[in-house]
Amino acid sequence: MLQDDNGTGSGVSTGNGRSRGRRIDRRTYLAGAGAAGLAAAAGCTGNGGGGGTTINILTWEEFREMEENIEETLDVSINIEASASSSTMFQRWNQGADEEFDVVVPNNNLVPRFLESELIAPVDTNAVTNYGGIYDKFQQFVDQQFTRDGNAYGVPIRWGWYGYSYDTRSVPEHDPSYQVVFEDDYVDADLSGNIVMYDEANKTMPVAALYLAEARDDPSYREALEGEEMTFSEEQINEMQDLLVEQKSRLQGYISKDPRFISGFTQGNFLVGHSGRNETIEMRTSGEDWVEFVVPQEGAMAWYETAVVSAASDDTEAAWEVVNEFIAPENGAALARAGFSPSCNPDVADQLTEEQNELYGRISPERLEEFIPLKDIADDVEREYSNAWNNVKAA
Amino acid sequence: MATPNPDEIEDDAARGAGTVRARLVRTLSRPRTALGVTMGPGTVWIAGLLVAPLVFMLAVSFTTTNLTDYNIIWEPTLARFRELLGGSVDAGLLDGGSVVLLEVGSFQLRATAFEKAILLSYAIATVTTLLCLALAFPLAYLLARRSGPLVKATIFLMLLPFFTMYLVRAYSWVLMFGSKGVINSALGAVGVGPLEVFNYGVPATIVGLTHAYYPYMLLTLYASMDGLDFSLVEAARDLGASRIDVIRDQIIPLTMPGIVGGSLFVFVPSVGAFITPQILGQGKVQMVGILIERWVYESRLSLASAGSMFVVVSIVAAMVLAFRYVELDELGGA
Repeated sequence: MLQDDNGTGSGVSTGNGRSRGRRIDRRTYLAGAGAAGLAAAAGCTGNGGGGGTTINILTWEEFREMEENIEETLDVSINIEASASSSTMFQRWNQGADEEFDVVVPNNNLVPRFLESELIAPVDTNAVTNYGGIYDKFQQFVDQQFTRDGNAYGVPIRWGWYGYSYDTRSVPEHDPSYQVVFEDDYVDADLSGNIVMYDEANKTMPVAALYLAEARDDPSYREALEGEEMTFSEEQINEMQDLLVEQKSRLQGYISKDPRFISGFTQGNFLVGHSGRNETIEMRTSGEDWVEFVVPQEGAMAWYETAVVSAASDDTEAAWEVVNEFIAPENGAALARAGFSPSCNPDVADQLTEEQNELYGRISPERLEEFIPLKDIADDVEREYSNAWNNVKAA
Repeated sequence: MATPNPDEIEDDAARGAGTVRARLVRTLSRPRTALGVTMGPGTVWIAGLLVAPLVFMLAVSFTTTNLTDYNIIWEPTLARFRELLGGSVDAGLLDGGSVVLLEVGSFQLRATAFEKAILLSYAIATVTTLLCLALAFPLAYLLARRSGPLVKATIFLMLLPFFTMYLVRAYSWVLMFGSKGVINSALGAVGVGPLEVFNYGVPATIVGLTHAYYPYMLLTLYASMDGLDFSLVEAARDLGASRIDVIRDQIIPLTMPGIVGGSLFVFVPSVGAFITPQILGQGKVQMVGILIERWVYESRLSLASAGSMFVVVSIVAAMVLAFRYVELDELGGA
């Protein structure tokens, strides 16, 4: 004790045996240092905006639109870190960020991985009171994709779907079909070099499967998309690869980022683009009324973001209460406006204008039946699937 | 207590400082200490941030990544290298795979996606290097022969792109290329376009890389030519050598270290280029950097490490070949 008091250990002394003012014993020093450390840590984690509880969330940029309102409603502090990729979200959590964040909002196809890795907690149905209000179809998706032993592990928040958009000034009206991106003579327009596809296997390979299901009258391609995961055979994967390789010479390219899709389309670099509906809505909202988005007759893949709570969270109840607010009408509307994507809770439409509802707010439940949710490829063909896409890109 | 004399205190302090300084100089004069002080930080830096990650990457390249939870399974295997090379390590390069590399009539040479990506990367990097060399050589020669404000202004203009972000420079070419880009629109306006060559793809990628790395070549060549004794050139001309002879027999051999150095500075980053082919290739140009990045994105870390090791080894081999012709300390100057 004497040694510390004389300054060889604690650092509060001057180092020459003389105390700088009042003597501080070890216990007082440690208590003070602890308090200072806690205060500093609280500052680092962003505490101080709302109430005493801080909920750290890893999610998409647009979720910030709800932050202030949720803090006021629940008297909690929310600390949002934006991410642009569901895979990155999973990788970070799998490497220990589940201790750092309470909530993460990946795309639905990644949730089973969080579940398999035992990173997430079951939904607290007492806290998520809005769950019963979401579309029945999404509740079915939850049952199908990430419910174990009767417990759901995620709450669908917002969604969207993929089809294709085209420039109505150059491409004549036609029956919506993926034939437009695979067949030369489907429409009376020269589309060679004027088509773009998504630069992502999980978005483009299913398009090939849906096309082949219709073109070859072989429903097994579609059936492979409809289970808990994609269950293509190696032969089907090879067929999809060959189709996409053959298509490649007709493509202007593959696009991975929505802003590049929008700028390229606006610049006139292509006429038909495999796209999400929200990109097209964003373009139409900006005055580009020549762009038309359609859902092909072969079917369309849909995505929905799903909030999950960390099994390591200190306050899962508060975390689920925050998730509940994501699908509350007022917050859901703010999120829908920010991302041009509908909420999974149809009641959100009541908070939107008629024009917003027409564009992205109110979706008929019957329409949901057209969509197949994106999902992971089955483990036994994952390498083949990934290699097939690499081969397409290398061709 | 007696009050100390301030002058004595200053003298003591000066003696103390002198002693400390002398002790420090003595310590630093010892060869081992001097070596540690001068090379130590650099060595720690290189060991920690270059060698250690490389060793880790090498180790990971001999493992498997569990594709369900993305964890690395630490059991040594050659499977990832087999995957890169089309099924069998014994089979070697270009002995299998699903991608057509070359097709002449009924003859087809097939490769794996990785083999094609690495060959494409080397081809693009080679063309980029030759283009940079061809464009920079005459200008560097001119700049070395002339002096004055014009030379300074030219060098400044050549360096100007360096003052903007690489990403911005790459994006600036996006507007130029494409079926409705500035080049094709201009050609269309005069009735000769649009031309396929000015769409996004390999040519656009080469232009972007040439633009990005041209200053490296120019500055290296200029540094090399600036030390050239041009009286030799005049002597050769006086003795009847043609201009071509002078370039071939005098200038090129004398500036070879600059040519090799500049080529390395352009070639090596071009092989691993990622941003430029991503933006100007519009997803259709799969260079090896893009392929490895996708593997990382898909969390196939073992395969990505194996691919990266392959690139590192091939580049080191290219550098060893280059250093057969020049010494390391000659790079950048004649």
